[in-house]
Amino acid sequence: MKLYHKTLFIALLFIGASCTDVIDVDVPEGPIRLTIEASLDWEKGTTGNEQTILLSTSTPFFDNQGNTGVTGATVQVTNDNDGSEFVFNDQNNGRYTTSLFVPVLGDTYSLEVIYEGERYTATETLFPVTDISSITQSVDQGEDDEVLEVNVSFEDPADIENYYFLRFQSRNDLLPELFYIKDEFIDGNEATFYYEKIEDEEDNIVEFQPGDIVDITFLSASEDYYNYLQLLIEQFEGAGDPFSPTPVALVGNCINEDNPDNVPYGYFRVTEMVKSSYTFE
Amino acid sequence: MKKKRQRYRSMQIVAGLCLLLGSALTHAQNNFTISGNVTDKMNGETLFGTSIFLKGTTIGAITNEYGFYSISAPQGPYTLVFSHMGYKEITMEVVLDRNQKIDVEIEEFSTQLDEVEVTAEEPERAILRKPEMSVSKLNIKTVKQMPVVLGEVDVIKSLQILPGVTNNGEGSSGFHVRGGAVDQNLVLLDEAIIYNTSHMLGFFSVFNADAVKDLKLYKGGIPAKFGGRVSSVLDVRQKDGNSKNFALTGGVGVISSRLAAEGPMFNDRGSFLVAGRGSYAHLFLKLAGEKNSVSFYDLNLKTNYNLNKNNKLYLSGYFGRDVFNFDGSFSSSYGNASGNLRWNHIFNDRLFSNLSLIYSKYDYELGIEDFDFDWISSIKNYNAKYDLKYYFSDAFKLDFGISTIKYEFDPGQIKPTGPDSAINELQLDKKRALESAAYINAEHKLTDNLTAQYGIRFSHFNRMGGQPLSEYANDQPLVYNNTLQFYQRTDPIGETNFKKGESIKTFSNFEPRLALAYQINDYSSIKLGYSRAAQYIHLLSNTSSVTPLDVWTPSGKYIKPQLSDQYALGYFRNFKDKMYSLETEVYYKTVDNRIDYVDGSDLIGNNTIETEVLNGESRAYGLELLLRKNEGPFTGWISYTLSKSEQRTFGGNAGGPGINNGDWYNTPFDRTHDISITGAYRFNEKWSFGANAIFQTGRPVTYPNGQYQYEGISIASYSDRNADRLPAYYRLDVSATYKPNKRPDKKWKGEWVFGIYNVFNRKNAASISFGQNFETGANEATRTAIFGIVPSVTYNFKF
Repeated sequence: MKLYHKTLFIALLFIGASCTDVIDVDVPEGPIRLTIEASLDWEKGTTGNEQTILLSTSTPFFDNQGNTGVTGATVQVTNDNDGSEFVFNDQNNGRYTTSLFVPVLGDTYSLEVIYEGERYTATETLFPVTDISSITQSVDQGEDDEVLEVNVSFEDPADIENYYFLRFQSRNDLLPELFYIKDEFIDGNEATFYYEKIEDEEDNIVEFQPGDIVDITFLSASEDYYNYLQLLIEQFEGAGDPFSPTPVALVGNCINEDNPDNVPYGYFRVTEMVKSSYTFE
Repeated sequence: MKKKRQRYRSMQIVAGLCLLLGSALTHAQNNFTISGNVTDKMNGETLFGTSIFLKGTTIGAITNEYGFYSISAPQGPYTLVFSHMGYKEITMEVVLDRNQKIDVEIEEFSTQLDEVEVTAEEPERAILRKPEMSVSKLNIKTVKQMPVVLGEVDVIKSLQILPGVTNNGEGSSGFHVRGGAVDQNLVLLDEAIIYNTSHMLGFFSVFNADAVKDLKLYKGGIPAKFGGRVSSVLDVRQKDGNSKNFALTGGVGVISSRLAAEGPMFNDRGSFLVAGRGSYAHLFLKLAGEKNSVSFYDLNLKTNYNLNKNNKLYLSGYFGRDVFNFDGSFSSSYGNASGNLRWNHIFNDRLFSNLSLIYSKYDYELGIEDFDFDWISSIKNYNAKYDLKYYFSDAFKLDFGISTIKYEFDPGQIKPTGPDSAINELQLDKKRALESAAYINAEHKLTDNLTAQYGIRFSHFNRMGGQPLSEYANDQPLVYNNTLQFYQRTDPIGETNFKKGESIKTFSNFEPRLALAYQINDYSSIKLGYSRAAQYIHLLSNTSSVTPLDVWTPSGKYIKPQLSDQYALGYFRNFKDKMYSLETEVYYKTVDNRIDYVDGSDLIGNNTIETEVLNGESRAYGLELLLRKNEGPFTGWISYTLSKSEQRTFGGNAGGPGINNGDWYNTPFDRTHDISITGAYRFNEKWSFGANAIFQTGRPVTYPNGQYQYEGISIASYSDRNADRLPAYYRLDVSATYKPNKRPDKKWKGEWVFGIYNVFNRKNAASISFGQNFETGANEATRTAIFGIVPSVTYNFKF
């Protein structure tokens, strides 16, 4: 529902003939914390054995993002339903990997990370995802009627609560386009989401051209993860706009068992995933 | 414990008031009374705030909203004086030996269009002796003289250069009084509640300056006849319409134009006013091939009819609308509509009454074409009120009355607009409520130097049934998650269906109001005020600026009424024979049950708002200074406010420490310093000049305190709520008014107003957003500045 406030911001900029520019701002410096990006995504049609967990530390806001991957942690995931354990091996670059993971729909998994003497834990359940029913391109849809966009559609299963995470990544660009989706208003319907780029000279954004490739990933999400994503994406896209809520700390599902105040960033998710890519014609 | 103590204090005050009242009534003398109406000689408009007094005595009165006055004194000869700022004083000799009716017409010093006249509200003796404090009154002529953005006269922006009133940055709706929120202001246009005071997201106000007679903002010391909001009352009155002759006024500007017609009707037993205003910039843009458009229009209507000398009817109406159309993606339209039928009845020379039947509505519509659906929400109210004023004696006047408001809330419905729409139809639960009140208020001259105004308002709120209400385990719609340390929604465990005749919850409050004025000498006085107010409906908004789509919600099982207590102390002084005046006030205000929104709250399309909010409290305190130069070719004022506004929200029933760890945090309306200087200079008959300079501490915001990598993007981390600030805001505006040569006998009068807003073209940050550069991925801070330098020209005419 981020749309609502976005519409107002667009209107505001339009009325005011206002200008935006990049300025220097002094921002406060918070504590450096561990970031856990434990995204165990099981691509449909694969075994899902190969999985990676990323551990890094946070940095001051304007620091150039060097590699802050952490090494020397121990990382393990347990299937709470059958007790099977999966150890993730330190690749000495912030990546911890396994090739033995076994995903089971509906099962609950626990994560345990031990880093610098502190134990971090999280649990998450693996929900199924529906298939993408179609990927098309069009011009007359989207915000601008003269610009190419890619449309992704899926059939939402009726009468059960579903949450999704949809990610578009154009291969020419650095930043993705992210959607958090809840079926509250679309339960049981076919829903379509589009990715369109509007030209912006200041930001060097160019419209999609024939030949451009967009990678699409479509994931199931738990309700908690949906709530996390909703805030994450809203703040990523518009923190500080006059019509955005006051930005707040994101609360993931990882707990520091030894030092509860040293809360880690990030999230432990276990999802089913549909992957595809689309080349504009 | 705290609640009980407050209730006890209220009761004490009630008891005290009864005693005072009793003593006043027993002291009443058998006097004679002069009563009547005061009107403007040129156009027949009734005048509010005219001072009437008997020379050489301390006996005096002020005309009410309908121009009526009543004055009582012992038998004898007197000199009766009628005095109104900007008007010629009238004196007449009267011999008081019977009750009599004296209607007078008073004449303006100059009847030229938009004379430069920065007026103090009332003549000296009245200002000093009247206990009324914390009130800002603006003459519409003063307002019209100030430099404004795009040449559009704006009463709300004019208020913001007085002490204690701010906005939330350019392009934000509404206004903030003494650190209060937008929804804590009761805004009345001819007594009808206006729910959104802005056009075009705050660029213009909904009040058409050509249709407005006067406005009065109560920042504190709110009289007992007003209630329902905890921060302020803005009482705007429309003109009645010229009852002497037909007149046209209007203006042509860059963005919009306005036209008002007024004149006598019903064989001179009444008059009418019709005023319209519309923007047309979107038409030019359309011609230029621009597919997006924004526009607004509004219409003011007023008519009155004299049934006989003791009975008068008024009918007034307002309709305003904003329309946004963004080609191919969304369109939106919203606005207020209101109507009021009033009956003034004079029982006798001491008892004046008014009955009003009022309707008011605000609705918001948004169509999202991309996803084929419409979103509609609205609030409606029906209001009946009966107000009486009894002029018991010169020393004692009594206001009393009753009021009842029926509210209907439609928090939102979603309608798919096509067969292919992916969106299902949805109607959020409609809500109903009844707010009733009775009040009595006395203006009591205790000695020649000490005047008191004391009263009490009893308010009652009934959240009516006719809707289901969710129930939660342990009555906890949200609960603190101790492991993850955040507030989490809980799922309802059931639903109770309340029938239409049932009450979901009722509340009632005694709201004592007290003000004292002690006149130290002929030119200075001290005033003291205390007021308590209750607010039963709340605007749900978790954004830094309120938006047109925010919905109102009534108090009920989970959201309690807001209760404010305000204390104020003021010192008032005139210098150099009224040439200068100084008004200083300090205030301290607390509000109980101010809700705030937990981290990650989601208000849109939410049927269970209780899962997103916690009940907290807020407090504000400050010092206000206003130094005015009232006379001469150069007039103007310097206003300074030093203040603090903060809030605190504990976890309460939901557990946990609360928002921001239960610590105090700045409200978005906190401004440490707020200085404005306004000047007007009359150079000669043809040219006059105006200027505003404004400096303000930046708005509290939350800046990121770090970043981390997730999903291939940089995620900002944030800590304390509103702990940082935007850069300080300042700007200078200038204007020049040119009145071409004209013959005095010519009916057509015109003038040109040239303005430059933000002369130094300073890019004041309306907001700063943080994010990654699309190309490099590096984090950057982006400032949005709404207005740079904006020149404008407007032509105003009167015929």
